[in-house]
Amino acid sequence: MSTTTVTPTKLWSGGKSPFNVEYGKLMMWYFLMSDAFTFGAFLISYGTIRFSTNGWPNPNEVFRSYPFAGENANAPLVFVSIMTFILIISSVTMVLAVHAGHNMDKRKVAINLALTILGGLAFLSCQAWEWNHLHNEGAWWGHNPFNNHDGTASSTNFTNYFFTITGFHGFHVFSGVIINIIMLIMTLTDKFEKRGHYLMIEKAGLYWHFVDLVWVFVFTCFYLI
Amino acid sequence: MSNEAVIHAHAGAGTHDAHGDHHHEHHHHETFITKYVFSQDHKMIAKQFLITGMFWAVLGGLMSVLFRLQLGYPDATFPWLEDILGKWAKGGHISAEAYYALVTTHGTVLVFFVLTAGLSGTFANFLIPLQVGARDMASPFLNMLSYWFFFTASVVMLSSIFVETGPFSGGWTAYPPLSALGSASPGSQTGMDLWLVSMALFVVSSLLGGLNYIATILNMRTKGMSMTRLPLTIWALFFTAVLGVLSFPVLFSGFILLIFDRNFGTSFYLSDIFVNGVGALPNEGGSAILYQHLFWFLGHPEVYIILLPAMGMVSEILSVNSRKPIFGYMAMIGSLFAIAILAFLVWAHHMFVTGLNPFLGSIFVLLTLLIAVPSAIKVFNWLTTLWRGNIRFTPGMQFAIGFVSLFISGGLTGIWLGNSALDIHLHDTYFVVAHFHIVMGVASMFGMFAGIYHWFPKMYGRYLNNTLGYVHFWITIAGAYMIFWPMHYEGLAGMPRRYYDYSIWESFKRFGELNRFISTVAMIVFSAQILFLFNFFYSIFKGRKVTSLNPWGSNTLEWTTPLRPGHGNWPGEIPEVHRWAYDYGKDGKDFISQTTPVGADESHH
Amino acid sequence: MEHTAEHEEHVGGGVKEIIKVTIILSVLTAVELALGFWMMGMPLISNLRIAVKGAIVILMMAKAFYIVAYFMHLKHEIKNLIMTIVVPLSLFVWFIVAFLYDGNSFRHLRNTYDPHFKEQSTIQAPKKEEGKSEEKKEEAKPEEKKAEEKKVAE
Repeated sequence: MSTTTVTPTKLWSGGKSPFNVEYGKLMMWYFLMSDAFTFGAFLISYGTIRFSTNGWPNPNEVFRSYPFAGENANAPLVFVSIMTFILIISSVTMVLAVHAGHNMDKRKVAINLALTILGGLAFLSCQAWEWNHLHNEGAWWGHNPFNNHDGTASSTNFTNYFFTITGFHGFHVFSGVIINIIMLIMTLTDKFEKRGHYLMIEKAGLYWHFVDLVWVFVFTCFYLI
Repeated sequence: MSNEAVIHAHAGAGTHDAHGDHHHEHHHHETFITKYVFSQDHKMIAKQFLITGMFWAVLGGLMSVLFRLQLGYPDATFPWLEDILGKWAKGGHISAEAYYALVTTHGTVLVFFVLTAGLSGTFANFLIPLQVGARDMASPFLNMLSYWFFFTASVVMLSSIFVETGPFSGGWTAYPPLSALGSASPGSQTGMDLWLVSMALFVVSSLLGGLNYIATILNMRTKGMSMTRLPLTIWALFFTAVLGVLSFPVLFSGFILLIFDRNFGTSFYLSDIFVNGVGALPNEGGSAILYQHLFWFLGHPEVYIILLPAMGMVSEILSVNSRKPIFGYMAMIGSLFAIAILAFLVWAHHMFVTGLNPFLGSIFVLLTLLIAVPSAIKVFNWLTTLWRGNIRFTPGMQFAIGFVSLFISGGLTGIWLGNSALDIHLHDTYFVVAHFHIVMGVASMFGMFAGIYHWFPKMYGRYLNNTLGYVHFWITIAGAYMIFWPMHYEGLAGMPRRYYDYSIWESFKRFGELNRFISTVAMIVFSAQILFLFNFFYSIFKGRKVTSLNPWGSNTLEWTTPLRPGHGNWPGEIPEVHRWAYDYGKDGKDFISQTTPVGADESHH
Repeated sequence: MEHTAEHEEHVGGGVKEIIKVTIILSVLTAVELALGFWMMGMPLISNLRIAVKGAIVILMMAKAFYIVAYFMHLKHEIKNLIMTIVVPLSLFVWFIVAFLYDGNSFRHLRNTYDPHFKEQSTIQAPKKEEGKSEEKKEEAKPEEKKAEEKKVAE
């Protein structure tokens, strides 16, 4: 790691990466920034519509059920907090996989990747259940059975945004799971051992953490405030 | 972990597998497919972008000729129109639907396909690796995908012209409800679906390209090529890529919401709508202004995505052909940076009269007028670069000077339009049309022409014909002013844009003659572009051969490559860089290439 | 490739740091949830409610910081890389402010000039939910009434 000790001016003088990272990681970072603007635009649109509307449904009345709860469940925030913790824990296992990759520890990489995939699948299952549940209550794109906080009729934009944004996030989780499965297969077939480094895992990790990061915002914007 | 090894392994082998530790000089046999079609060579991809862009420029230009025909001769009939347009020109008279479809497609195609993909796609691909001293882009594979996504977008857009209900006809900005409701107009049906698919593919293409450009410029500069030794072309292309990467996703989100509004019964943008023949719509609670915000959050950076590459190339060409260092190199970078930042902060000046909050509008006025500062810095620096230079009037140089002229003329009217109070009178008039066509349309076209004339010898190893180049230049510059200058007067008189027939309006009848004049000039200018096309394709095969490695006496790295560089650009080692790109006329020497080491007796620049 | 102790040093933290950040994230989430539960009992329009929402947003930003800085390792990258990523994100400030401000302005505009829009937000909606959760809704009604009265009074 001789490059970390050179002076900053040397770093920029060409012939090497000024950030001391390979181009793939740089591109992944900038892709994630770009994706942050995609999600940002969605959430800001949601905020704009909410600000330009007089009433809004109460999330605690909408999201109050959980699996096997029966009809009259009234447990707001419970199910979504489970989802949140699943995603955080899957992020932790991903970090551990990346960390194990730095140490060239194939076994630990594989185990942690598998756990991450499990976490991702668990999250997706939770989301599938929640969508299904809301759909049964009559909520869908263009259909909003929930009234506003104050009992007035609500526009359909509450469900429109909910399904669009969580759907887009769920799509990201899904593609993250696919990427991680590919990483797991590559790990198990010794692709990275042969290359001598696990940099690919690092990039997949960046993507996975970003998915977690987006959930932090989605969770806050839809369920809490 | 050795990043350096990784990078060098990559750069050295010119392979797309960056993680390969194997360092092999490969000379595998290239088939027609890998060389000309699915090529991963940045130079070939650049040419693919250029030629696709030219195809669209011809089509988009032809569309403008067709709708100018309607504006110039609203009462005349042209039977041949029915032959080419069929039911869209019954009896030789372009129908209203066709007129709007032509205007819309002309705008979309020229803004996105010609001046974004055709301009920065071509020159970012061609110049970045050559001028920073890299074997190829950071990821040649993604670079290839970038082109093919663009190609697919092109095919989809092209197919939208041939559907039964016609292409989208609600303006290139695709405002809802026209774009959201299929029942709004014929073009809002299948044509709009295809438009959206095409644009979504285009966003992917520009994202893949942009990420590549940024990563290449930051990570793959050759030894000694510090950021402040980069030619200004590269700086401009860098900021262009940053603008694209950060603003296109916002448009993408807006499009996704639009797709849901169109197909899945949502009302993100829809509220209180009554459609003739359909009745009141159930959609409530949406906001059409929201779409405009999202659109212009891309839309404004987009005009700089179009303009910045032209600025960068013009800076380089002016300096080379004035045989003088560029004036105020750091100020040029600083103003590019300032423009890039301001581009993200001013989008709502396109929406002053939509019901935007007036106080918010006043802040947008302030931010908008701030753009005049970096723009003026650039203009003064170009003029001072020309000042007392040994100017060589090559066609490229002429177009570069023409760019400066157009940028000034069009930029000044921008100061008018940036005022929300004046905008009450000027919005949606021909004044706006004149403004943006001069400052961003024609000016960027000029930047593109300048680039093509200047780098054609590097692209194809031959020169473009000079005489044809001069004719092309003079007709185009004179024509551009003759087309758009009168439009200012029409706009000041209140003549709205996007109308089908002005002859039935008492207030605008008197512009009939002027409109006919504009249309006539437009046709002449269009035919001059055909002349250029002939010159271009003829010269690829039959042009005068380039004999010297560095025909323009230029300092930058692309002229240190062989006449027809292969994939990998330099046969041996990549040259090391010892100085900035603008040592012209220094210490009595005409030019000093970037690869020349700094001598002991050299004066400081 | 020499990834060993040397590399560890560059990457920073290690497993200990990961565990620490996990705990911090869990605690922050727990606090957010606690605030969420607390907020349920509050009147619909109150300064306290807005303050709690603000606190939740701050906690959200803190969580985002920990994920980006430690899980995504940004804190251990070279400073210039951090800058190229963080500085463009500051564009979000004006992005958010302008959009929300205009959204809010649009609501005022419609409340002032669009009688239909104004009227819609005062009419109690018929229950759209079919059957099953009807009783639930009935229970909640007195509270809703109160909130509505409050709004009308204002």
